[in-house]
Amino acid sequence: MSTRNLVADKLLWETLERWKRSTPELDRIQFLKTVPFFDQLSNRQLKSVSDIMFERTYDADESIFEEGQPGAALFLILDGKVAVEVLRETSTTRLAVLQKGAFFGEMALLDETPRSATARALEPTRTLALYRNDLTGLVHRDAKTACQIYRVLAGMIAERLRLTNELVQMKTPALD
Amino acid sequence: MSNGQDFEEIARERKTRRTVFYLTFAALTLIVAGFLIWKLSSLILPIIVGALLAFVFRPVKERFKIRWLPHEVQVLCSFAAIGLVLFFAFNTLRKHIPDEEQKLEFKVRLNYKLNEKYRQLVAKPAEEKSNAVAPLIENELGPLMDKFNQSIELNPEERDLFLKYAAGYNGKPPIEPKFVDYFRANQRTGKYVIPENAPDREGGPIAPAAAQPPTPGKGATLENKVSAWMLAPLIFIFLGFDNGQIRRFFIGLVPNRYFELSLTVVDRLDDAIGKYLRGTLTECFLVGLTLTVGLVLLGIPPGIAVAIGMVAGLLNAIPFVGTALALVIGVGYALIAENVRPLIPGLNPNDLALYVVILVVITHVLDDVVFQPFVLGSAVNVHPLVVVIAIIGGSLLMGLWGMLFAIPAVVVVKTAVATFFKELKAYRII
Repeated sequence: MSTRNLVADKLLWETLERWKRSTPELDRIQFLKTVPFFDQLSNRQLKSVSDIMFERTYDADESIFEEGQPGAALFLILDGKVAVEVLRETSTTRLAVLQKGAFFGEMALLDETPRSATARALEPTRTLALYRNDLTGLVHRDAKTACQIYRVLAGMIAERLRLTNELVQMKTPALD
Repeated sequence: MSNGQDFEEIARERKTRRTVFYLTFAALTLIVAGFLIWKLSSLILPIIVGALLAFVFRPVKERFKIRWLPHEVQVLCSFAAIGLVLFFAFNTLRKHIPDEEQKLEFKVRLNYKLNEKYRQLVAKPAEEKSNAVAPLIENELGPLMDKFNQSIELNPEERDLFLKYAAGYNGKPPIEPKFVDYFRANQRTGKYVIPENAPDREGGPIAPAAAQPPTPGKGATLENKVSAWMLAPLIFIFLGFDNGQIRRFFIGLVPNRYFELSLTVVDRLDDAIGKYLRGTLTECFLVGLTLTVGLVLLGIPPGIAVAIGMVAGLLNAIPFVGTALALVIGVGYALIAENVRPLIPGLNPNDLALYVVILVVITHVLDDVVFQPFVLGSAVNVHPLVVVIAIIGGSLLMGLWGMLFAIPAVVVVKTAVATFFKELKAYRII
């Protein structure tokens, strides 16, 4: 980070801290710092991301998105619990239960492919949503921040691909 | 009753209350909005114009980003630049919009020149040879010329005013003697077609049209209009300050079930309407520029050429009608223009009107073949029949402004309906 950016970042943070005018905004930035998706970003960059996020509140048992719907946004859990499930004709398979700080639906940041699972709030839950086209818009306004987010996303997809490959290799019988 | 049943009952009651509340709120909002639209109808147009300008120029604001400069200052800088360009453009236009004296003078000149051209057309050759075409033209065009003369002639009040201006009135220099001669010649012009019960053909000056009653409270109306139009730049600037907060507010009101759907629909609408409006604006600019350059080459003074180009470019946003109006304005000026020296060698200044017609046709072809495919390539297409109906409907509702905004309104509705239903299906809501 250049000296100018460092100074701007420090000034912004100090001003926000001193004024305490926007506690929810500060809380949100502090929260984003703890999420692996954004932990590489500076405070100024986190503010840029925070500015384009939507806060949504879900009741217990309310669906956040459903399997097969086109994906549009990544969700971060601010508070509460979310179950990620795959619904079949006769049964429901719970893939994971996510808690505060976890994120899901990240593939929607890349394209509009249908959701591969259903996300449902298990208890009253607050989330932050990052819409795909807002992130694309950030590329024009703050290319560095957007690039860092995309790099983390690419790293996560590569990691998943590696794990999938390992799983396939383990399940495929040796040819010789 | 078990705890589970209690909980379900409470949840059901809460849902019913929520539905009643939403419906009541929606009904109240509709009633209040309808009342406000009815009462404040004069503010609607300035608000629409201000909002459209902010929407159209948003990419300029977004591209102009200096990290260390506060957002408000950046917006003010970019909008000040846009405002300056618009100010100079409209100032040039305003200078060439005729005032009361010039309007009278233009009417007199147009009346005289058109009659002069007509007389040249039907005049018999000097060597007394029979002209077979002249009577035919006289029979066909004569009644039209009479109607035109009747519509453009000065009424008694205007005649008095013209004579006052001719001698110098209201701090203005006297009208050129040449145009006063035109006025007298116009007074002597009789009807070209003999009315069935008319006593003779050269029946003296045409009977003056009935004097129009003065419009009451004209000044007050103008004042109201000016103050209403002050809203347009204010809306333009304040919407410019918006950094997505308005969108976030409205998306925040959407129920969770439609959250992603609403984001997608709003985004697609924004994209489609933005492409259409910015494309149309660019197209209008190119048409205006082509006409301006063409008119300058034909020898029309640059200031007037810019004014005609601007008006014709702006009117080009109205399909079909725009070109016709550009033709009327251009030919109208060409007919009254005097001492024109074309920059293109070999052109006869007496045929200026014909050259203007050719220029408008060339511009129209260029618009259809080059500008539209280039700037509106991926924008929304509207069926020609819908365009015609929308323009007529717009003109009936709001006159010229209605015609101007008819097609954007159709584009908004078409895109909104198409996107909404497509996404509702994609999200398995319908």
